[in-house]
Amino acid sequence: MAGLISRGFLGRRRPAEVENRLPPGQYLVTDFPVLSAGPTPHTPLERWSFTVEGLVGSPVTWSWEEFQKLPTQTYTVDISCVTKWTKLDTRWLGVSIDTLLKAVQVDPAGRYVMAYSDGGYTTNLPLEEMVNGQAFVAYQFDDKPLDPVHGGPARLVVPHLYFWKSAKWIRGLRFMERNQPGFWESLGYHIHGDPWKEERYSGD
Amino acid sequence: MDRDEPDMNTALMVDGNAVAGQLEQIFGRDMTMTIARCAGCARDAQLGALMAFIRGPGVVLRCPACQNAIARIVETPSAIYLEARGAAYLRMTPQG
Amino acid sequence: MVQPVLEWQAGRVTAIRPETRQTKSFTFALPKWMAHRPGQHYDVRLTAPDGYQTQRSYSIASPPERLREIELTVERIPDGEVSPYLHDVLMQGDELEVRGPIGGYFVWDVRLGGPLLLVGGGSGVVPLMAMLRHRAAQHSTVPTRMLYSSRSAEDVIYHDELDGMAAASDGFEAFYTFTRQPPAGWTGYRRRIDAAMLAEVIKPFDKRARVYVCGPTLLVEAVANALVEMELPIEQIRTERFGPTGV
Repeated sequence: MAGLISRGFLGRRRPAEVENRLPPGQYLVTDFPVLSAGPTPHTPLERWSFTVEGLVGSPVTWSWEEFQKLPTQTYTVDISCVTKWTKLDTRWLGVSIDTLLKAVQVDPAGRYVMAYSDGGYTTNLPLEEMVNGQAFVAYQFDDKPLDPVHGGPARLVVPHLYFWKSAKWIRGLRFMERNQPGFWESLGYHIHGDPWKEERYSGD
Repeated sequence: MDRDEPDMNTALMVDGNAVAGQLEQIFGRDMTMTIARCAGCARDAQLGALMAFIRGPGVVLRCPACQNAIARIVETPSAIYLEARGAAYLRMTPQG
Repeated sequence: MVQPVLEWQAGRVTAIRPETRQTKSFTFALPKWMAHRPGQHYDVRLTAPDGYQTQRSYSIASPPERLREIELTVERIPDGEVSPYLHDVLMQGDELEVRGPIGGYFVWDVRLGGPLLLVGGGSGVVPLMAMLRHRAAQHSTVPTRMLYSSRSAEDVIYHDELDGMAAASDGFEAFYTFTRQPPAGWTGYRRRIDAAMLAEVIKPFDKRARVYVCGPTLLVEAVANALVEMELPIEQIRTERFGPTGV
């Protein structure tokens, strides 16, 4: 989409000192942009729950209280949105997917996961890219409870993939046999979404 | 930020007017007065009056009454996707 | 009637005029100008040398009676991407890519009649001003009231022009409300627009009013909800939400 170059418009920054940390086509931001597909859900914590279901032996559900008792870790990660911003060294506190999976027996056929959220958002991931510390359910950002506009009470964080995969307002994971596309993957976005391979759109 | 400001996400929400140019490129005519019947709650609203979330990977137009996603638009370098299963129908005046 | 295809064109900046400390009006001469309807907007697109592009929509402030050029009034958003460029970098003689005019929903012209209530917050007043300038250019006497919310007197865009219009005694009245710092000696409204204020301003028009509401999303939501509660028919309410900015 060529355009008339606007005199003196420099666009966004790829500072030299962090050049090697920015995936291709990405620009550095220092704020935390708010992007959503819908209004902020406001599920009260008394009604919040997190479920692991689908191709598992028996589904498991945690209440907020129960979820808070799970062992947590702190994470410092870089995050990249497909809309081209990257934020470095974001700090989170959350429960590793590995911890959650200790509570269920995943069927060998359950190789893919659909993460689903309040408000109807979904995104799909291969199980093998969620384990071994690659993904977590976060409920604190920057040492404070996760703001609802950024996905609080809890969101999925999968830092090695484009941030649309880090589902805000997450309520559960459903294990499935085939890699079914979620909300954006079914409308032109890449089924996998690796920023280092610039897998933005299907066909990339 | 104002203490009265309840929610930055709501504050960022706009309406169908914000995607009028994009819709006109897709449909070849102004679409802001086109009426969408929500497949969820059956209420009618003009596209210009739908809730619009425009800052993410794509645009989501939602019913102002029940917040159901009426339409989604994604622009990639090589294609425009439009999905409108959330609309029972779109109703517009004939042109030409 | 077949509409011309919406396409980008290069508008040339012929004038830049500060309006308030945060807003400026930019006049663009358009090679492919076409008469717009008051309330419509143009999309503006910036392209960086590396190909990065970004785009915003700005309401047309000028009336269609002003030929071959458009005026856009833009508020400078401190962390914004486009408005700081327009305010701080753009110069007379520069070219900017624009596309329009766009939008058929949030429009008013004299043929639609009244009585007319225009409710605006902050830069939401811009498309309403296009409507008022058109109304004046057409020497219309459609009964019209504007309720305009600003932080302080210094933030009222087009203040002198609005005072002039009100003084013309052609059926137009302006009501202001200030949410942070009213002017010294102010006896008018000094709070966010609410149902009680709307009820007072709309009183002479009652349920016959055609209402246009424009500004920050939260203001538009509050006003539209209040009007619906007053049982104003929803077909008579048109809204345009600008997203965040506090007023």
